[in-house]
Amino acid sequence: MDYAMAIALAGAAIATFMAGIGSSIGLGIAGRAAAGVLAEKPERYGLMTLLVVLPSTQGIYGFVISLFVMLKLNMFGGGVDSLSIATACQLFAGCLPVAVAGLFSGIHQGKACAGGIVMAAKRPDMGIKAGLVYAALVEFYAILGFLVSLLIIMIGITVG
Amino acid sequence: MFEMIEQPVVNFHLYPSVGEEDWRYCFATAEVRTLGAGMLSKTELLNMANAVDFADAVDLLSSGEYALPARADLAEIENILLVKRSEVRKLACGLMDESIAELFEARDDFANMRLALRRTLTDKELGLDYSGDGNVAAERFEDIFAREDYYSLPFYLAEAVEEAVLGYYQNKDIRQIDYAIDSAHARHNIATAQRLENHFLLELFRMQIDLTNIRTMLRLKFTESQLRDVFLAGGYIDPRRLKHCIEIDYEAIAPLFIASPYYPAIEQGVSYLAAEKSFLKLESCCWEHLEGFLDSTDQISAGIQPVIAYLLKKENEIRTVRLILTAKKNFLDTKLILDRIS
Repeated sequence: MDYAMAIALAGAAIATFMAGIGSSIGLGIAGRAAAGVLAEKPERYGLMTLLVVLPSTQGIYGFVISLFVMLKLNMFGGGVDSLSIATACQLFAGCLPVAVAGLFSGIHQGKACAGGIVMAAKRPDMGIKAGLVYAALVEFYAILGFLVSLLIIMIGITVG
Repeated sequence: MFEMIEQPVVNFHLYPSVGEEDWRYCFATAEVRTLGAGMLSKTELLNMANAVDFADAVDLLSSGEYALPARADLAEIENILLVKRSEVRKLACGLMDESIAELFEARDDFANMRLALRRTLTDKELGLDYSGDGNVAAERFEDIFAREDYYSLPFYLAEAVEEAVLGYYQNKDIRQIDYAIDSAHARHNIATAQRLENHFLLELFRMQIDLTNIRTMLRLKFTESQLRDVFLAGGYIDPRRLKHCIEIDYEAIAPLFIASPYYPAIEQGVSYLAAEKSFLKLESCCWEHLEGFLDSTDQISAGIQPVIAYLLKKENEIRTVRLILTAKKNFLDTKLILDRIS
């Protein structure tokens, strides 16, 4: 029982911290690039902020999946009566798509955003047209990871 | 002593690759791209060159970062431009790693030392009118030369001074100072780029060496000089080919470089030299070739490459503004200015 709970909670933790690492690295990259532009052109704050915040979503997806795992385990209502090792492993596996997709897509989205920011430094009109759109394409794969995790946890697994 | 430099092989069409991205330079890249967007365009420089007179040319700069005081004379403008250049260098070097910044500051050390040696060896006043952007303060020169304590200078400079002094005393030819300093500078650049394992710097310095060698070759040919062993090592072009070019007709030079990336520059530069007896076009074409390589750093989103490209392009912009204003002040023909800058 305790081992099973530990495995399930490890999955929830991994979903938040790996996706969170991806987001924070991505935000760091995009933020530094935006600071470089704002050092010379502070009036572009709005556009820069839009491009900087994009990689933050992966961390949110990971956090939401962790919450769903905790709900599934009825942690806010006193916990489940019985949790098998097999179900715990299924919950752990359900957390992996959002964790891994979030980690890598967060970093690469940060780089794409930094590219957009650097481009917008030269061509502000292209910041939204290309910078934002290209960075948003990376988001698609984070969303896929999130959806797969969500479906596995909410539909694929029955606890108790 | 410096190590022998291997002869590199051209494995690219026009420009070598600029190397990998380095995400530590996100901030720096974004800042220089923003600053780069405010640089003078070719059209603005051409408009300045086509200006009716000096005042008109100064007036064309009034709306940008080069806004100069009304009725400023040339000396005043030169001072303003020198301050501007120092600011640009300080900003760019502040954005680079210390080891790379030192490499760019060393350019002024070599230039200062060239001037100091020329003055010392020809028994002229040493003076203090040196660039302040280097690693060695000009105030130290007098003491160093008085005691001949060259090894209190940074190693790369001490070697250069020793070679220049030896070269000069061989036949008391002042040009040997320039060749020794240039040669030591080129070796220092290549050796440092190799030590830092910086692909972009290595390619940049090789290209600069080639372009310097091409100009040297054509100058030697034009002046019918007998000097031959003055080419810098480390570039893509084999010095033996350059020595051979000195012996042949102008028309035969460019075809020898048809498979090299420098063919367009050499072809245009040599044709102009043969027709006009002037190096203006060659200088312009050499810069255009280098600028093309610097422009290719736009391919990457973060790295030291855009910072270096900005520094070199901005320095050239300041040089071009100074060149145009000086030419206008001295009533030079507009065609000559256009040939030099376009």
